[in-house]
Amino acid sequence: MTTQPAPTGADALLARAEALRQALPENFRDQLVQSLYAEAEGVARRAVHPAGERRRDWDGLLDRLVTSPIFGLPIMLLILAVVFWLTITGANVPSALIADALFWFEDQAAALFTALGAPWWLTGFVWHGVWRGLAWVVSVMLPPMAIFFPCFTFLEDLGYLPRVAFNLDWLFKKAGAHGKQSLTMTMGFGCNAAGIIATRVIDSPRERLIAILTNNFVPCNGRFPTLIMLATVFVAASFPPALASVAAAGSVVMVVLVGVLFTLAVSALLSRTLLRGEASAFSLELPPFRRPNLKQILYTSLIDRTIFVLWRAIQTAAPAGAAIWLLGNIVVGDQSLAWHVADFLNPLGLAIGLDGVILLAYIIAIPANEIVVPTMLMVYLGVGMMTDTPGFTELRALLIGQHGWTMLTAVNLMLFSLLHNPCATTIMTMWKETRSLKWTTLGALGPLAIAFAVCFLTASLARLLGWA
Amino acid sequence: MNIPLLIVGLAALGAAVFAPRFGLLALGRRFRANRRRIQTEDALKHLHACAWRGQAATLQSLAGALHLTLAGAVRLVGALEAQGLLRVAEDGLHLTLDGEQIAVAVVRAHRLWERYLVDEARMPLADVHYEAERREHSRDVESLGALDAALGYPATDPHGDPIPTARGQIERVESRPLTDWPLDTPARIVHLEDEPAALFAQIAAEGLRPGQTLRVLESAPQRLTLSDGRKTFALAPLVAANIFVAPEPVTGTPTARRLTGLKQGERAVVRALDAGLQGFTRRRLLDLGLTPGVPVTAELPSLFGDPMAYRVRGTLIALRREQADQILISDEV
Amino acid sequence: MSADCETCPANTALAQMGLDVSAFDHLVALAGNPNTGKSTVFNALTGLKQHTGNWPGKTVTRAEGGYQFQGKRYKLVDLPGTYSLLSASQDEEIARNFILFGQPDCTLVVTDATCLERNLNLVLQVLEISDRVVVCVNLLDEARRKGLSVDTRQLARELGVPVVGTAARSGEGLGDLLTAVADVAGGRVAVAPRRVAAHSALESALQELLPLIEAAAPGLPNPRWVALRLLDGDQRIRQALLNGELNDIAQRQREAVRRFSRKMAVEGAQ
Repeated sequence: MTTQPAPTGADALLARAEALRQALPENFRDQLVQSLYAEAEGVARRAVHPAGERRRDWDGLLDRLVTSPIFGLPIMLLILAVVFWLTITGANVPSALIADALFWFEDQAAALFTALGAPWWLTGFVWHGVWRGLAWVVSVMLPPMAIFFPCFTFLEDLGYLPRVAFNLDWLFKKAGAHGKQSLTMTMGFGCNAAGIIATRVIDSPRERLIAILTNNFVPCNGRFPTLIMLATVFVAASFPPALASVAAAGSVVMVVLVGVLFTLAVSALLSRTLLRGEASAFSLELPPFRRPNLKQILYTSLIDRTIFVLWRAIQTAAPAGAAIWLLGNIVVGDQSLAWHVADFLNPLGLAIGLDGVILLAYIIAIPANEIVVPTMLMVYLGVGMMTDTPGFTELRALLIGQHGWTMLTAVNLMLFSLLHNPCATTIMTMWKETRSLKWTTLGALGPLAIAFAVCFLTASLARLLGWA
Repeated sequence: MNIPLLIVGLAALGAAVFAPRFGLLALGRRFRANRRRIQTEDALKHLHACAWRGQAATLQSLAGALHLTLAGAVRLVGALEAQGLLRVAEDGLHLTLDGEQIAVAVVRAHRLWERYLVDEARMPLADVHYEAERREHSRDVESLGALDAALGYPATDPHGDPIPTARGQIERVESRPLTDWPLDTPARIVHLEDEPAALFAQIAAEGLRPGQTLRVLESAPQRLTLSDGRKTFALAPLVAANIFVAPEPVTGTPTARRLTGLKQGERAVVRALDAGLQGFTRRRLLDLGLTPGVPVTAELPSLFGDPMAYRVRGTLIALRREQADQILISDEV
Repeated sequence: MSADCETCPANTALAQMGLDVSAFDHLVALAGNPNTGKSTVFNALTGLKQHTGNWPGKTVTRAEGGYQFQGKRYKLVDLPGTYSLLSASQDEEIARNFILFGQPDCTLVVTDATCLERNLNLVLQVLEISDRVVVCVNLLDEARRKGLSVDTRQLARELGVPVVGTAARSGEGLGDLLTAVADVAGGRVAVAPRRVAAHSALESALQELLPLIEAAAPGLPNPRWVALRLLDGDQRIRQALLNGELNDIAQRQREAVRRFSRKMAVEGAQ
């Protein structure tokens, strides 16, 4: 940087400017904007002319439809449901394909290592640990995001999303938040880290912080599989077969609604306590509906969002895979390190209606939530690597029969999965977006405290009432 | 297993107590030093406020303002005198030049923070005093200057009191309490006394703000009836005596409607933005094109009716009810 | 921006903003209101040659990309979409400071033909900061659907800078846009940007500051803007004045004018 002394006359200039400012009428800035707009009006009037026929435009009609008190909400829910359906069903096949391919590669590579005479622990650590962690996260994460994000960007470019923010703003205003938080929450279903980056659309500092700190209460696609598994294995199984799938879907929706409830409640609490003195403003433009440009959508959603999130996840999944393998394979005394830790955590786990293995899985899964269930199964089954979900009957037998799971365990695990601390990627993103240790810590530990408190409460209540 | 755990626990406890910067002892020391400084600043501020009002500050008034016992006040005054911040005279306590400088700096911080809390944090006027009391003590010149600049160098705080400049100058605005004001003469509110808090809460609850133009319609011993052209207010004289007014320099805007009164499909012309709306929100609304003279149409209510989208200069802008209420409109000409 | 001038003061400023100055011949800033199809214009010009990151030290996304036109390499920097350049918001601060301190060879302002009045507010503000400006009236297709036509020649006459009508989605007018940018960046067109007269009290305050600014930073291309920002209390301008950055800008301007007149003299002699 230039290190010259201040130019001659600079001080005099600044002093004069300050004196002149004090002498100016207080509304001189208003008047400046007014004269700019007056000028703009004149120029525009002379340059823009009516020409040709004004074609019938559907914008007004469409706007009235999507904001109507009768159709507005159903349309919104329908669109949301379609996006979810597309994401979940559309991702199944590619997910399986990617998993098969990556795990096949793991087997081949491990076999090659063994053939070359590599020691078992090297093969295990590299391929069944690090590689398996990566493969798991990529296959679970990539397909849903590659479908969800383009859908989201499509609605964004179409101009529909600002209308959603507009429609729901009243609700969020009650919680001291911005209507656009509904969009960042929706984005959070894809990935909380992406949801937090998306809070940049909120240009008011306080409301943006609220959106960042509460985004975690929306289950991301790394946590959805856990919720769906529990809903199918436990909730659905206690209903007659005809109702089973409805019950499963219903319980997932319930969990999401609990998440929304917590988002609003915590937002309201934050805006009235810790964030009271932060700056706040509201502005929202409703751009006209426009035909989205598909090429642009694919580009922005795949490059900017999907690849970006995937890359961050890969960076954290590899070390997690390594840690899991080590815990599962280092034997101290008569059992693996994993079981030692799980035993240590067990009293705490039981107090909140879970158990030590579940807590262990959550600690290991801090880098990436996708690996909670496979890690749990690895420890329960006593195998040395993350393991895929067996059939539902075997799973029920394993969890309920051998490890004492109850309905309470399932419900609390769903709640814990929804409310617990954000994953490492999300915490890192919070730090990058707020540049504040205080808010990052709060964003990381606040949800954890809430999760413990809520689970402890439900567990105590259930025990008091004799349900568990 | 229990003995190593015990050792680790004891070590952690020891660290928590004796750690040099964040240990409990260090924190306690800092806390006490901080409390002393806050007390000093509050005392100097009290003396400054008394001098500003033309009253004498006494040991009794100081003890009352700081919630101290008389003995405590005596100790405090002794300490401050020793530091050369005040001197004791027959007619009461007076600030020295050094004391004055600190007091003005605290007042500046307090009023700037009040301005920030109302303009930028959009806090209700009734709540800002307490929060500003807290923030006024943690200040450094640099960041206060930045705050001043970010707020656009405001001349007054939200109660209408002048904000001292960085050089410590305060400009006095001549004003009289509303109880001394002649009937039916336009008056502009220049200052709302924020202490005692109970009376101020009543003023704030009525929605009265500095910059507003009022007329006294009726003055009776039990109550004053006021009008701002839109609404009438009835206040006890005790409350009204805390509202200070000055002559309205220009003829007030004709009775204006608010944008909230515009029904869907109706059109009007923006007259002005409410004087109570300041800071970033005001500038943003202006930048969005809501300048005086521009036509607006209430075009689209949202699902819940609030916010409402208005067509302004060809674009749909959503405004919340509170924002629309700050925009004065009139019928198209 | 000539790549050979590595010690040029603006190059230091650009390096601080995270731009690699050696990779292009001309720097173009892209400004505009939100929702004017600015990103469509950006994508249409740069194609896949773009990448996104953050503005240094800020949580505001910055997209930059490149293109080649008539043998010159252009670097296009997408500024945050703003309605104005006057307020204290992060976006507006970034946009106005880049145009002032980044000294782009051309600032391309994208406007929405269907609500030109609102967009011209921003154009007029950009014209206060820089005279190397091209105005792009985008979304002509939408305007036609609404039964509006925009007289770009009339606009160019009034604004004093080139104005090009486009419909970036279909590619209409992009060729003309590139030519206009090349002409302004290469100094081949005379610009005489329109400056808005302020109301009386502000105007006289500005007039009083102008000679003082001329004395402190002789030859500054936009003393009125600097005066306005000083009256507004812009800390960044204040700092730039004290540490000599404004002087560097003025210096660069003088050199550019000298180079330009020498070039004209050489060309005239042939």
